[in-house]
Amino acid sequence: MDATYIKKKIEQFKTTINNQLHHSTLLKYIDDPILNDEQLFYLLLPLFNGEQWDEDLNISAVTVAMVHASLNEHEKIDEYHATSKEQQLTVLSGDYYSGRYYQALANTGNVLLIREMSKGIATRCEQQIKVYEKNKLTIQDWFDYIVSIETELINKFYSIYEFDKYYTIMTNGLVLQRLQRELLNYQNGQTSTFIKMIQSCLDSSDSFDKVIGQKVNKLKDQTNEFLQTSTLNDELKLYIKNQLALVQK
Amino acid sequence: MEKMKLKMLYTDLKQDIDIIEKELEEALNSSSHLIYEASLHLLQAGGKRIRPVFVLISAKFGNYDIDRVKNIAVPLELIHSASLVHDDVIDNSDMRRGQHTVKAQWNNRVAMHTGDYIFARALEYVTKIENKKVHQILAHTMVEIVNGEVIQIEDKFRLHQNLKDYFRRIKRKTALLIESSCELGAIVADCDPKVVKNLKRYGYYVGMSYQIIDDILDFTSTDKELGKPAGSDLLQGNITLPILLLKDHQEIQQFIERASNGTVTEQERLEMLQIVRNSDAIKKSMQISNQYLVKALKEVEALPNNPMKKKLRDVALFIGKRKF
Repeated sequence: MDATYIKKKIEQFKTTINNQLHHSTLLKYIDDPILNDEQLFYLLLPLFNGEQWDEDLNISAVTVAMVHASLNEHEKIDEYHATSKEQQLTVLSGDYYSGRYYQALANTGNVLLIREMSKGIATRCEQQIKVYEKNKLTIQDWFDYIVSIETELINKFYSIYEFDKYYTIMTNGLVLQRLQRELLNYQNGQTSTFIKMIQSCLDSSDSFDKVIGQKVNKLKDQTNEFLQTSTLNDELKLYIKNQLALVQK
Repeated sequence: MEKMKLKMLYTDLKQDIDIIEKELEEALNSSSHLIYEASLHLLQAGGKRIRPVFVLISAKFGNYDIDRVKNIAVPLELIHSASLVHDDVIDNSDMRRGQHTVKAQWNNRVAMHTGDYIFARALEYVTKIENKKVHQILAHTMVEIVNGEVIQIEDKFRLHQNLKDYFRRIKRKTALLIESSCELGAIVADCDPKVVKNLKRYGYYVGMSYQIIDDILDFTSTDKELGKPAGSDLLQGNITLPILLLKDHQEIQQFIERASNGTVTEQERLEMLQIVRNSDAIKKSMQISNQYLVKALKEVEALPNNPMKKKLRDVALFIGKRKF
């Protein structure tokens, strides 16, 4: 199993999700669902590592991605100006994807996953709304926020199917990639909610790239250490190292 | 006053409605002060709780146990509330039930997270029920409600639509959730399948009538009674039954044209309200609503003898005469 196989499998998985979420009217006005390749990779990591993977498990993994797609749509809503037809339908597309995920799990009778996904969504919403709370938060609080946004739902999925051994690499991998993206955006003069929130916590002696750079390096070290002792197959280890740019060149 | 009258219709259910009310608040309990405040904001604005009431009444036709019945009554009300929070973003509404909406009090993103949070809590709550059929019905209802809203946006300011389009839209917008309230209340109480069908159809007919009356009240009520400006539906481009019945009226056509450009003045809004109120469209709409109520009452007749039959009739008749 090489990188080409993994990427092909992720693309096939995306097609399945898009088919499940297809809505001809919505697609006339808004783009395809937003699916994050990195999250899809970690969602499928147990499969790539040879874990038993039946149709029920596949449907469950698809629904986790559908929930991500739903929440991603709602992330696109403007704080103050959502009156355009496109924005109105974006609200509804998120709701539609949410209904479709519930429908898929209802049809398989997977009440446990419905419950755990619901808890995960609630936790994510609680984290996301922190941006608008008046409480003064610390840099660590904002790291916890990123962990929750990136990993909460996959973590619930792992937990139900006893894939907990993948939790550390999934969390490190997704958080690391998110922080690297934020760092790159910052260096390119762009901004984001996360950048603004971290900046609001900084002492005068600190800077965003210094604080995030340190965190990135720490996570890289931890990930390298983890991969050295991990039972993941070697091709997967190499794939993850490449994705996280951990390969020594 | 009207709400008092409705509450008097089900005074004997008050104890159980109070349990539902308490559970609704508890279900929204959150470690985030803001999300809790925003979630309760709408809930405490005082909805009529008609969906839980339909669940309770329907369940009385079977093995009634409030500890089981609340597992469907609470999520149905939460789903309704969550959809209102998102609807206010879509409609850019600042007021609902005389209070600022979540999006007006905070912003659209807070409203999105709050709506998603309430939806999630609703689904978490309903997982206390293991019955697969219950989840399939509820999921289907949720998807169809969204489909109805998508169609509503597609149909905005489009005067060239027919009554069938309107009925299809209000079925999804309102009737389905009331239909599901009756059906699911009966299912969780293990009612006979025929009783489930009768109650389901009753809910559908009552739901259709309820929305038609809602659409009439948008023109006939005062701003104060509505808690928002009368005629708001049309200003937002929603072509409802009274307007469809007046679609050949030249001044109404011109008003819709101006509304679609966002150039309606306050004076023009008041004039439009006068035209609708003075026309026979309100009377005709009432007649159509009544036709649905007659069908609802027929379903009640087909139900086995039970003291709740009178209540179903009373609620249906109340809906036909309601003024809020």
